[in-house]
Amino acid sequence: MKKSFLMGVAVAALFAGAASAADLKFAPGQDSKFNWKSYDEFKAAHADLKGQPLTIFGPWRGEDEAFFMSVLAYFTEATGVDAKYSSSENYEQQIVIDTQAGSPPNIAILPQPGLLADLASKGFLTPLGDDNSKWIKDNYGAGDSWVGYGTYKGKDGKEAFYSFPYKADVKSLVWYVPENFEEAGYKIPTTMEELHALTDQIVKDGGVPWCIGLGSGGATGWPATDWVEDIMLRMQPPEAYDKWTTNELKFTDPAVVAAIDEFGKFAKNEKYVDGGVAAVASTDFRDSPKGLFAVPPKCYMHHQASFIPSFFPEGTKLGQDADFFYMPTYASKPELGKPVLGAGTLVSIAKDSKAARAFIDFLKTPIAHEVWMAQSSFLTPYKSVSTEAYANPQMKKEGEILTSATTFRFDGSDLMPGKIGAGAFWTGMVDFVGGKSAEEAAGEIQSAWDGIK
Amino acid sequence: MLSQIVSALVVVFVAVVACSAYFYFSNKILDLALPVSDGDVRAASRNLNRRAVIRPWLFLGPALFLLFVYLVYPVVATFILSFYDRTGLQFVGIANYKWAIGDREFRQSIFNNILWLAVVPAACTFFGLVIAVMTDRIWWGNIAKSIVFMPMAISFVGASVIWKFIYEYRGGNDVQIGLLNAIVQLFGGTPEVWISVPFWNNFFLMIILIWIQTGFAMVILSAALRGIPEETIEAAVIDGANGWQIFWRIMVPQVWGTIAVVWTTITILVLKVFDIVLTMTNGQWQTMVLANLMFDWMFRGGGDSGRSAVIAIIIMLAVTPIMIWNVRRANRELKGH
Repeated sequence: MKKSFLMGVAVAALFAGAASAADLKFAPGQDSKFNWKSYDEFKAAHADLKGQPLTIFGPWRGEDEAFFMSVLAYFTEATGVDAKYSSSENYEQQIVIDTQAGSPPNIAILPQPGLLADLASKGFLTPLGDDNSKWIKDNYGAGDSWVGYGTYKGKDGKEAFYSFPYKADVKSLVWYVPENFEEAGYKIPTTMEELHALTDQIVKDGGVPWCIGLGSGGATGWPATDWVEDIMLRMQPPEAYDKWTTNELKFTDPAVVAAIDEFGKFAKNEKYVDGGVAAVASTDFRDSPKGLFAVPPKCYMHHQASFIPSFFPEGTKLGQDADFFYMPTYASKPELGKPVLGAGTLVSIAKDSKAARAFIDFLKTPIAHEVWMAQSSFLTPYKSVSTEAYANPQMKKEGEILTSATTFRFDGSDLMPGKIGAGAFWTGMVDFVGGKSAEEAAGEIQSAWDGIK
Repeated sequence: MLSQIVSALVVVFVAVVACSAYFYFSNKILDLALPVSDGDVRAASRNLNRRAVIRPWLFLGPALFLLFVYLVYPVVATFILSFYDRTGLQFVGIANYKWAIGDREFRQSIFNNILWLAVVPAACTFFGLVIAVMTDRIWWGNIAKSIVFMPMAISFVGASVIWKFIYEYRGGNDVQIGLLNAIVQLFGGTPEVWISVPFWNNFFLMIILIWIQTGFAMVILSAALRGIPEETIEAAVIDGANGWQIFWRIMVPQVWGTIAVVWTTITILVLKVFDIVLTMTNGQWQTMVLANLMFDWMFRGGGDSGRSAVIAIIIMLAVTPIMIWNVRRANRELKGH
């Protein structure tokens, strides 16, 4: 009796795993805004992988995990590969544990080129080959930058292309509620000077201009690094930005200190931020944008990347209930053009197999991008995808920013060594908002950077 | 989920069977290899002696092996790693130790750890003792004890999450949902972001550990108090001692050994404190402690095994004297002073 019960349980558990892979979100061949041809071709080319195991480790959890699973379903349907996805809130730690313990996943998906470069230098990643890097160069907007962000030195000291960019975020965005702006008679600022003026105007009218939240559990502080990087790109040429991420330009350099101070002008003014300065570091970044939607509004603007609508109140219609504008540039610095700060996740092979290679090939099909685009929070620099697939006009607008970008710069803190970009920089920003001066905070980050050499 | 439970059950079953089989068969084989037959008395007695020598090792063997694999080897490996660079490949001598001495964050962690050591064991033992004495003679004493003991059943992370809500801060004119801020507001004070107030935030984190561990101290000390002969207290009462004098002059000296045990046990725990800091602040706002610093260097952004090994060694060195002292004292007590 007991034995048969256990057997039944085991069988049920087996089938529970298999059942979820079978349903596809959009039936292949039906909707013409998808490139179904690419899917059919991929399916035909990789029919020989039935039953092969593939483990995927990634940063996506919650809603994003569900979206990724819906994409993965097409891969498993086409190839018959037995793919398993897992993730961790502390993915930076988990991937180090997994690789060093000798049990890496086949595919590691991480949003930090700095961490990936580190893994590559220890010999934990498999090069993807020149065809792939050439493919990125030809097919992605600002392809050269993307290839650069996936190219690292291996254990042998030779540079190779290790990480395939898939899913991007645009960070230079300021979110607002159009209705609130209309009611108060505010105009979208087109220059940084206007943004400062608008901020002052809102305070004068008795409102609070900004919602800023730096809280993110163990990663508390990162939203502030986005602010500083965005400002950095608007005050300094991109070359200076590149030097900053490699510490050729020191954190204590007046250029960097000025950028931090510029962020402080927004975040360290009691009247400028919802809840006052004390709330900035302790408010969770996921809760922070909710102030936009309060009645009356707790704040009018929120600087955050393109992923943030995932955390807007349920039923929020983008373009109607919430919209964004491009974080403006200084009218006094026209020579810097319109830089775009962004980020993205990069897909690497940590344990080589035929199925893992097939997965990389799958990411080259437009369908792997379009399925997620059509749902939410997914942008791609891939030029051949059908932009009609984007779920709403706002995402399409963001996607076009990416595909047409000339100056595109990756999130600087993700390029810096982990101990800085995912540590000292965060802590420094928390300390800065907590009362330290920009010089002090920058000095501490710099001394941490000196310490890892 | 279900398949995990099934496989866990299978593993437990197989492991138990394998363990029993090992002891049963290794014992059998030993008996067969060194027979005690009736014929040759000298050989039999020699074999008996040999059996007596081998058998303990046979039974201890698996435990010793596991102890070596999971304790001795890692300690040695960590010590060796502490002389190598971040990848563990390049020998760098004592560079990592030099770094530690000069590092601001490391010194901050040492300072915070000392703060924890000064406060938490003392507070737990003190509160444990006071509660044990006070609850001894009242009818609802056992109920009170159960309530004090309950936090012991909660994981450190779980407890931290509970306290996170107690310290929660809501900005501006929002209603405070954090208990502490709600109380502060009730009495007309201004709400604070408690966990980001430098220096004092260490104490807010310590309160969590005190909350968890006081129950442990109370239970052990309460058992010790029961062991005090009633006559000594009666004699003191007859001699006209007041409650205060009975507590300090009669009770405390008699449970002194137990207080020491409780104190040292919590001291060792405090040196390893990790979960609470990780959950509450992750070492930000100057609350870093050694164990978190070690984890940080090991796993953040690719990791640095050399430096984290140095910190691990330092934590171990700090714990060792307390352990040795504790074991020695326990040995002396076993021998009857």
